[in-house]
Amino acid sequence: MTRALLWSRGAVSLIFVLALWQAVALSGAVPAKFFPGIPAIIDGARQMIATGELPRNEILTLGRALTGLVLASVAGIALALLSDASPFFDRGFRTISSLLQPVPPAAVVPMAIFALGLGIKLYIFIILLVSIWGPYLNGAAALRAVPREQILTGRMLGLSPAAIMFRIKLPAAMPQIFAGIRYAAAVSLIAVVVAEMLAGRDGIGFLLVRKSFSIRIPETYALMFVTMFNGVLLALLVNLARRVLTGWHVRQTGASK
Amino acid sequence: MIPLRKPADYAPILMPLIVVAIWALAAASTSSPLFPGPAKVAQAIWHNFSTIMVQLGATLTRVVIGFAVAAAITVPLGIMLGRLRIIGQLFEPVMDMLATLPPPAIVPLVMLFAGTGDAAKITMIAFAAAIPLLMNTYEASKTQNEMANLVARSLRLSRFETMLRVDLPAALPMIATGVRMAVAAALLVSVTSEILLATDGIGVFLQRQQENFQIAGGLAGIFFISLTGLVVNTLILAFEKRWLFWHYRAQEDAK
Repeated sequence: MTRALLWSRGAVSLIFVLALWQAVALSGAVPAKFFPGIPAIIDGARQMIATGELPRNEILTLGRALTGLVLASVAGIALALLSDASPFFDRGFRTISSLLQPVPPAAVVPMAIFALGLGIKLYIFIILLVSIWGPYLNGAAALRAVPREQILTGRMLGLSPAAIMFRIKLPAAMPQIFAGIRYAAAVSLIAVVVAEMLAGRDGIGFLLVRKSFSIRIPETYALMFVTMFNGVLLALLVNLARRVLTGWHVRQTGASK
Repeated sequence: MIPLRKPADYAPILMPLIVVAIWALAAASTSSPLFPGPAKVAQAIWHNFSTIMVQLGATLTRVVIGFAVAAAITVPLGIMLGRLRIIGQLFEPVMDMLATLPPPAIVPLVMLFAGTGDAAKITMIAFAAAIPLLMNTYEASKTQNEMANLVARSLRLSRFETMLRVDLPAALPMIATGVRMAVAAALLVSVTSEILLATDGIGVFLQRQQENFQIAGGLAGIFFISLTGLVVNTLILAFEKRWLFWHYRAQEDAK
């Protein structure tokens, strides 16, 4: 019931945005050349689908974002576990992360192309660099915050330190880790698009720059909508993974309401 | 009594040193000009220091102007949208959609309208910074405290006064979060726009270093960008501690 309500609310919002857009376009407040109406944008998208460039690049971009996100999540969780196990690593890595975190992905792309070429390695490196922090920071904080009683219970049951880590602490930290992954999903999409824009070979980001430089305005807007859609899609996928992996938490918090 | 030092206390310095040492060894063993060691990068920093400072200055000037424009528009707008429920709810989906747009995707779009000059770049930066600022201000002012509202009414504050003296301070902690996100987005868009639409700035510097195969110089540039981000983040955190202490104290009490 509530889900249906949520979906219908989303649909109404989408219609409102499209209507608002069309109204602005028709009002002539902005020259139609720079602000095409929805039909023109759909037409632009249809042309790109017909030539095959939109589906081909979309698959590339989504594939890169997903691969990078999965690797960044796994690596982030691994680092968080390491941080929890070793105070030395935890304190030391904090210095390193505070230096790496503010680096904008765009700045790294020109140099990374040298070392990694224009293939999937480049994109994975850039995504790892920017989206590892969500799962890592949330994970480290959540592992630290696991109630002492739960750990002591594990010890009383005769579990080894590794078993306590993987069977008590990690599952307890999972919900908060997923909050970090959701944030990382948005960041990984930003990283892919900007890397594609600057690497200039393929992907939605590259297509966006090429269409705009050749003043294909409806196509540029269509691609902008595609990147927004990708953001929503990736968020949905993360949510799905969260339900599968931490269903107990969703059920528990859902039941308490 | 002197507290006993644990090995972990030295980690913040020791571990970066270990990483640098491994980097130096790896670079020495490959000895390729495309993989410079830390010594080469330090040399490049020394060599390019004045250029980097000038170019970073150009970048940061645009970031500051763009950010200021964005804050001046979005903070009042966000509070107003939060106050005027119906209009706010109407525009919520617009904001949600804009929030999913990767900030660098704005660059080619704004270029269509505004070209490639300074004004265009500042517009792109302002746009990128505006979205997290607007979202956070709006969210904060939407979920305002009922009690504070009643107090404002009993003090017979006008609508404008309420927004200025109740809503704005109450929204500041969340705005501060928005500021951190906005600064990151602004820096990212600034560098992207410079690499794509070259005139000046640290992005252009990085691009030139790449074109001339000066990896060490490029890494030096990246180092200074990261340092800038670190300084800005530290300043924002210090500001939050200094001026928003009441918020954190209230949180402590609530625990």
